[in-house]
Amino acid sequence: MAKTPSTAPPAGTDEGRTRSLDVPSTADPVVAAATTPSQQFSARSGRRAFAPVRKALTSIWRLWFFALVLVLWWVLSASSTNTFFPPLKDILTQLWDLWVLGDARSQLWSSLEHFAIGYTLAGVLGVVAGALLWKFARVGEAVSPVLYFVYVIPTAALLPAIMAIMGIGASMQITIIVLAAIWPTLLNTLDGMRATDPTKLDTAKALHMSGTRTVWTVVLPGAMPQIMAGLRHSLQISVIMMVVSELVASQSGIGFFILEAQQRFAITDMWTGIIVLALIGSVLTFLFILVERVVLAWYLGARAVEQKG
Amino acid sequence: MKVVDRRWFKIAARLLVIAAVLGLWQYVAVSGVLGDDAFPTMTGTLAQLGRELGGRDLWQAIWDTVRGWGVGLLIGCSAAIVVGTLLGLNRFAYLSVIPVIEFLKTVPVIAILPLAIVVWGASLEMKVFLVAFGVFWPLTIQVIYGVRAVDPVVRDTATTLRLRGLRRFTGVTLPSAAPFIATGLRVAAAVGLILAVIAELIGGAPGLGLSILTSVNAGPSRLPATYAFILVTGIAGVLVTSLFSYLERRLLHWHESQRNNASRAA
Repeated sequence: MAKTPSTAPPAGTDEGRTRSLDVPSTADPVVAAATTPSQQFSARSGRRAFAPVRKALTSIWRLWFFALVLVLWWVLSASSTNTFFPPLKDILTQLWDLWVLGDARSQLWSSLEHFAIGYTLAGVLGVVAGALLWKFARVGEAVSPVLYFVYVIPTAALLPAIMAIMGIGASMQITIIVLAAIWPTLLNTLDGMRATDPTKLDTAKALHMSGTRTVWTVVLPGAMPQIMAGLRHSLQISVIMMVVSELVASQSGIGFFILEAQQRFAITDMWTGIIVLALIGSVLTFLFILVERVVLAWYLGARAVEQKG
Repeated sequence: MKVVDRRWFKIAARLLVIAAVLGLWQYVAVSGVLGDDAFPTMTGTLAQLGRELGGRDLWQAIWDTVRGWGVGLLIGCSAAIVVGTLLGLNRFAYLSVIPVIEFLKTVPVIAILPLAIVVWGASLEMKVFLVAFGVFWPLTIQVIYGVRAVDPVVRDTATTLRLRGLRRFTGVTLPSAAPFIATGLRVAAAVGLILAVIAELIGGAPGLGLSILTSVNAGPSRLPATYAFILVTGIAGVLVTSLFSYLERRLLHWHESQRNNASRAA
């Protein structure tokens, strides 16, 4: 939470402090005060040649605990006879057989297809609806209680009702993903656009910029950090709802695979499903962070300079 | 002041929208666009809600859900605050453990649910575990950032004054981390409720989620009850969110993030 980019000033300062603790050389207040920004830059660029190597080494070193956890899991479970916790070796062998060589891959594609459609719809609708509610602020205010209620209902509770209306199938699963995942994007878009600097809006007006152009060149870029934060949250919810919908009612997908393995009491198979799901969650988040770095390059760059200076 | 900016007009507009939504619900149900057996009327649902409120089953379901949510939240949050504080105070531990926590945070919590179901079955323990596990990771990260966000000047002052141990923790670290923890708790409470409902819906533990599922499976005659339960779940969500926002404002009224009311800590 604290890491998500935000345009609000108090959050920004808190965030600056947390981040800067990772980089003690530039965060030292004494150094920062004694040197001008340009001096800091030249001082840094001298060391830049080694920076990538050192950075890589540090990040590898930081993973030691992660590795330790995996090794411990491997060793402690090696001779496990507990039905629920089979040896990690067996799980990984099974994982390879089922998901790499075997036909469980088709379950993966089925899940990812629903996820992709649902998440895209949720993202686009969220941004558009958020922008409309910003544009027509009075309408937004009037519908806010209803909106708030729908937002707060745990979406999973709606699942049986939607099943009754739409039946079981891809459209039901996509609907439930959209219904759950639209909110973070919508609310963050609305918040981000509301936080647009009034001076900038006045400047745009003084320059006789058209409404559309103002939105595209002033409001949207300004709100972008927060929209991306919303989209990232929507991504996590989409993955969760993808699985939930498959666990409740489906004939395909990872959730279905896990449930089916559980009912067969094939615990090792179930573990492979859980691990695949975990990997999907983190790979998707990782991909999102990559996209975010490209989309918000100007913002992250500007903020890094701000923190150094 | 224009009419549209007056307070009474805003409230009237909101009430009008609520009435319009309820009216639309009634209209859609009566017209049968969504199928007669699939979507109950608004009046039928509210009447059923009234009947359920008079009976014992609904209150039992609410109690089951609230109990699972509360116990899970208590365990998950206590663990997160302890672990997060310890990790936040030590730079080495923080740097070592943060990749693991960041990774586990991206893992969909729901992945662990089937395991909990085979281990504990459709029980309170299963629900408590899922809620506790689900709120633990995000809150831990929040607490770590909160503990590390102590103002350097305040930190150095505390060192100069030789504040150590418990005194330093309660006087310096905790107040500085409080807004982060409060935000984390508010989010955890909402997430915990969602997870409790999911655990009931999929795992079959008694509670509102299970009531929704069984009433749907009982056929069209019980459909108004389904929607009544969904409404109750929504109201529970509203209450939980409002309660934690209220507590946050109340308990942290001294903090700058609440004072200027510009934004929350996250």
